[in-house]
Amino acid sequence: MSKPLLFMICSLFLVAGLMYWLFNNDRSTGRPIIQNKSQPNPTEGTKSGESEIILLCAASNQSVIEQIRKQYEEETGRRVSVQYGNSQSLLAQLEISKRGDLYLPADDSFLDNAKGKKLIEEVIPIATMPIGLVVKRGNPKSIKSLADLQRSDVRLVQADPEAAAVTKVARSILEKSGQWESIKAATRAFRSTVTEVATDVQIAAADVGIVYSPVLVPFPELAFVPIAEFESGISQVSLGIISSTKQPAAALHFARYIAASDRGLKSYQQQGFTIGAGDLWSDLPELTIYAGSMLRPAIEDSIIAFETREGVKVSRSYNGCGILVAQMKAGQIPDAYFACDTEFMSQVTDLFPEATEVSQNELVIMIPKGNPHKIASLRDLTKPGLRVGIGHEKQCAMGWITQNTFRESGLQQELMSNVTVQTPTGDMLVNQLRTGSLDAAVAYLSNAAGAVEFLDAVEIQGIPCSTATQPWSVAKNSKYPLLADRLFQRICSAESQDVFEAEGFQWQLGTKKLNLPKATATQSTNAQSTTEAAAGAKE
Amino acid sequence: MKTLRQNHARQVRDGIFFLVMGGLSSSFIALIILLLIADFTFTSIAEFRTALSKPEIQAAFRLTMASCTVAAIMSVWVAVPLGYILSRYRFFGHRLIDTIVDIPIVLPPLVLGLSLLILFHQPFPFSNWIGKGFVLDEFLRETLHFPVSYSWPAVILAQFTVSCAFAVRTMRVTFDQIDSRAEDVARTLGCSRAGAFLRIALPQATRGMITAGTIAWARALGEFGPILVFAGSTRFRTEVLSTTVFLELSVGQLDAAVAVSLLMVAMAVIVLVLLRAIGAGLNG
Repeated sequence: MSKPLLFMICSLFLVAGLMYWLFNNDRSTGRPIIQNKSQPNPTEGTKSGESEIILLCAASNQSVIEQIRKQYEEETGRRVSVQYGNSQSLLAQLEISKRGDLYLPADDSFLDNAKGKKLIEEVIPIATMPIGLVVKRGNPKSIKSLADLQRSDVRLVQADPEAAAVTKVARSILEKSGQWESIKAATRAFRSTVTEVATDVQIAAADVGIVYSPVLVPFPELAFVPIAEFESGISQVSLGIISSTKQPAAALHFARYIAASDRGLKSYQQQGFTIGAGDLWSDLPELTIYAGSMLRPAIEDSIIAFETREGVKVSRSYNGCGILVAQMKAGQIPDAYFACDTEFMSQVTDLFPEATEVSQNELVIMIPKGNPHKIASLRDLTKPGLRVGIGHEKQCAMGWITQNTFRESGLQQELMSNVTVQTPTGDMLVNQLRTGSLDAAVAYLSNAAGAVEFLDAVEIQGIPCSTATQPWSVAKNSKYPLLADRLFQRICSAESQDVFEAEGFQWQLGTKKLNLPKATATQSTNAQSTTEAAAGAKE
Repeated sequence: MKTLRQNHARQVRDGIFFLVMGGLSSSFIALIILLLIADFTFTSIAEFRTALSKPEIQAAFRLTMASCTVAAIMSVWVAVPLGYILSRYRFFGHRLIDTIVDIPIVLPPLVLGLSLLILFHQPFPFSNWIGKGFVLDEFLRETLHFPVSYSWPAVILAQFTVSCAFAVRTMRVTFDQIDSRAEDVARTLGCSRAGAFLRIALPQATRGMITAGTIAWARALGEFGPILVFAGSTRFRTEVLSTTVFLELSVGQLDAAVAVSLLMVAMAVIVLVLLRAIGAGLNG
């Protein structure tokens, strides 16, 4: 046998041996999953091969994520596989392969892009990064302002404005002030990443660069110089949960760990990032929600779906808002509160400083099918002998709005003389109408929507205050503000909006506003009206 | 006297010749040496030790050695028959195949990685009649339980795709330089084509095979773009030394990046010397 042939046959054995080693090596690096028996595992039931979480992570986050990953694996016994790379390349890989559970890019702009392509389901904010200048420690060239960047003895480098978020943000600020073109002209080179900019200054290839401050943590010889123009230039780092993940509960488990103020966020803070309010860590967090009982049919399915996806528990208490407010004032504070009307949100401003209006619900007159008493308006409810049911004004928003509506109609006394029952929830009125113990009831359209086979609804016309607005708020002392926010996002999903509309609500999502006490809110509205009136008079 | 002067002039011309040749050659050698010196001065022995003591870098070293060796051997196995066919036979589509072989060489590395990713993760054209379409990665992962992308086989495949192109080019030149008359003579004496190849052509191509293997191994060692895109860079799993350098640079760990780079230089030197020694042994 010729030597080359012998050589090639030997090489076959070598390849076989190496492949065998690689197989076994791959298995041995698969650290066993040690299940924490005391706590349920959200991924229980999945194949062991699927329970490893794959995080696609920007290389710039490598040191902090490695620290968090090791801590997480030791603490929970679960396994995380992190794939590092350039944010844009990872996004391209995700788009093609649809493989991975979590995506952590260098900044939010990549997540916006990914969300636009429907690759990301939830977004969890992690930390922020301020923008400024990087110079050698001691600032030998006394670079302190934007004007210094244009000096002939100063070599400026920047990251590519098309690829790196830091320069995108800096450019947008400088374009507004008309300084971008001059700064661009003074730039000696554009590098592909912000770390390369810091490296250039480190090896004295440049004197200054525009960077995020956390990038400088591994460079002890460099210093960060904040400048006034960039004060508004802050980039957000967020974690996205990949839409195609087959194990959302396990992925969100690790995501919650990263975003936990007493776990992952600590590491982020050590690495120079500015962190916000995160959730407290819990293997199986339990979120408490108080919601007006009329909201139950609209939000219950969303909450169940949320529990399944997140692998968490949501304890919900549906009741008349007056009762819920009383409970809160007695010290039982939920993580989030979904009120039937702004009136009952404004009574707990100390606990819920901000609120978002979500939907509206109209007050209607509910009557048995066929309208045997020929009721067409509020006035018809004053007919002698009619048994009318309404909500209790102290116990629920519906009762309070009903009283306002009666007052506005000018028939309050006559109407109240026919009221035989006041209940804390609209559902009770529906039941009483169905059993025949009432001839009519004033309740929300959403209460009637659940019993269309038995009941008809008559619209109350000409009285604007007969419409209730439902606000959502997260408690200022909630242990899980981010988790509560994600539940709210779920409630605001397109699927959930359809349910709201099917249940008789009008979807009217507003923006988060300060939750002011009623008197202050009225004063502020009055003051605004006075100002507007004065402005109108001037015109 | 005239002859003496002529000799002197010739010596001067020879001197100039060696000066120009040596100057040009040494400029490149000096550049490489200066680069290495710059690397050595940037890091320290302590940094080098710290970097090499990291378990993730040790794992990357082992995977690099194994994957480069497998990719290089596979490249030679493919390059020998392909180089031989391209060298000895003229057939329809010869030029096309010759060009196709060069595609991995001219293609930007990231594009190659992206192409591999698309090949494995997108449904094959005209495969929709079997439901959602045939996706190679799904088939390998779910049916054969042999995951390729984002796993170590992806590292080898990415390295092989580029290395093999270089190996084929080398083997083609090797067989071109071996006179085919000896094989023709052997065939007239009753030898089959396979016999002529194994007994005549292959022994003469030993040096070429060693060179092809060396080039393939070296190319696989430096491979970075396709690995990053197709295999990812997962610590302890698909991270090789070239991606380690990238990861360390990404977080500003210049010392570690330089230390790993020097380790790669040392590996390359040792392996290349070893391969040349094996080649000399086979030739002898």
